[in-house]
Amino acid sequence: MLGLDITGLLAGHTGRRAHEEGATLAVHALTITDEELVVRSKDGDVESFNQLITRWERPIFALAYRTLGREEDARDVCQETFFRAHRALKGFKGEAKFSSWLYRIALNLCRDWMRRQRRTPTVQMPEDTDIAELAAAGGPVESIETLVARRELGRAAQRAMATLPDEQRTAIILKEYHGLTFQEIADMQGCPLSTVKTRLYQGLSVVRRQLEEGGMSVADIRGDAS
Amino acid sequence: MSTRFTCDDTESLVAYLYDEADPVLRSTVERHLVECARCRDEVAALGGVRHALAQWTPVAPPLRFSVVQTPLPVAADFPAAQVIRPRVAAWQTVPVWAQVAAATLAVAVGAAVANVQVRHDAGGWTVSTGWMAPGSSASARPAVDESWRPALAALEQSLRGDLRAAAAATVVAPVTAPAGAVADRDLLPRVRALIEASERRQQQELALRLTQFNRDVDLQRRADLVRIDQGIGQLEGRTGAEVQRQRQMLDLIVRAGLRPPQ
Repeated sequence: MLGLDITGLLAGHTGRRAHEEGATLAVHALTITDEELVVRSKDGDVESFNQLITRWERPIFALAYRTLGREEDARDVCQETFFRAHRALKGFKGEAKFSSWLYRIALNLCRDWMRRQRRTPTVQMPEDTDIAELAAAGGPVESIETLVARRELGRAAQRAMATLPDEQRTAIILKEYHGLTFQEIADMQGCPLSTVKTRLYQGLSVVRRQLEEGGMSVADIRGDAS
Repeated sequence: MSTRFTCDDTESLVAYLYDEADPVLRSTVERHLVECARCRDEVAALGGVRHALAQWTPVAPPLRFSVVQTPLPVAADFPAAQVIRPRVAAWQTVPVWAQVAAATLAVAVGAAVANVQVRHDAGGWTVSTGWMAPGSSASARPAVDESWRPALAALEQSLRGDLRAAAAATVVAPVTAPAGAVADRDLLPRVRALIEASERRQQQELALRLTQFNRDVDLQRRADLVRIDQGIGQLEGRTGAEVQRQRQMLDLIVRAGLRPPQ
């Protein structure tokens, strides 16, 4: 009986310790920097590169989706981006951020894809609004009407963005959704800083005009939608 | 950076809009906006556009790409060829034979829980389920087992006694009958009696074998149930630990996700 009790205690202690070690490893995996993971990946550590994929696959997919407009194409571009990144990892010197490097690869792939397909960005969106999905996505204090208005606004913005020239659309995407600085966008697009600002201003102005032509008063949008 | 701001200075306006203007330019633009209604409207409109753009959220399909290392290297100075492919669920990596074994175990557990019984008697094969059926054999619980065990042992003893008596009668009869003393008309009844005695003996033998078989099956089933019970207990323990670990990981991911983007 005593032996059983001791065994139980030991088993519980071992389980807790393993649990704590697992949590420590998880925290460590979240705090380790991209640069450290890149170094390990260069040494052949596949799992480190998989961690980089886990961190960046969602932003890369979002970038490709907003650029191309189709989920299947965005998924392919996302997969190809990581494939090429892994192949070219030895050549990555770390002069830019790993994420900027990834963005550049993804944007090049998007540009090639659009050139190959000779297509403009597609506006792919569901015809109907799923109220339950909207309610689940919204905060606890938002009414269904507000959620529907937000969804409609997002669709209108997507349609307006699809009409922009590639450079303006890319500049807005990188700035609005990925938070890159003007300088980072300039480096990525290979143009002067002032050109980036001009592209942003012109792009925003076109979107504004499109929204206003759709019957939306953009100066009041913030108050209406939020 | 110029400290003067004019209405057509769109670059400075964009820098102000995205909060990338230096403090001097920022205060300059703010002073201008107080005085210029046109630029004030412009900034408000562009702010509205930005708000509209923020409502455009992409679809969020499951991605989970991962690098899978192939066995053959393609270059001497780099790890083996890599393939980026969506991650598959853990169960999909289990070999087919293991999945078949798991399915068999599940069927066995289900049959044990449902108390499935297969019997063969004079009426042919019989399949029955459920614990409340009359004559159901022993369950895994000892209390239920003990009620029929003495009866089974008594039946076995009775059958053995009958067999011994029948064997003795069969052996003695030919010896005690003098050769040539039996008339032809008496021969047929004796043969019939011998055949009937043989049939009875065979039936009793069959009953004894079936009783022994039933006992062996019951013992084996009880042992299997104990092993299954132990296996399920271990699985439950592992599953609980895994669920706990997943929850903790999810909690960490959620907390990391709540951090402001770079």
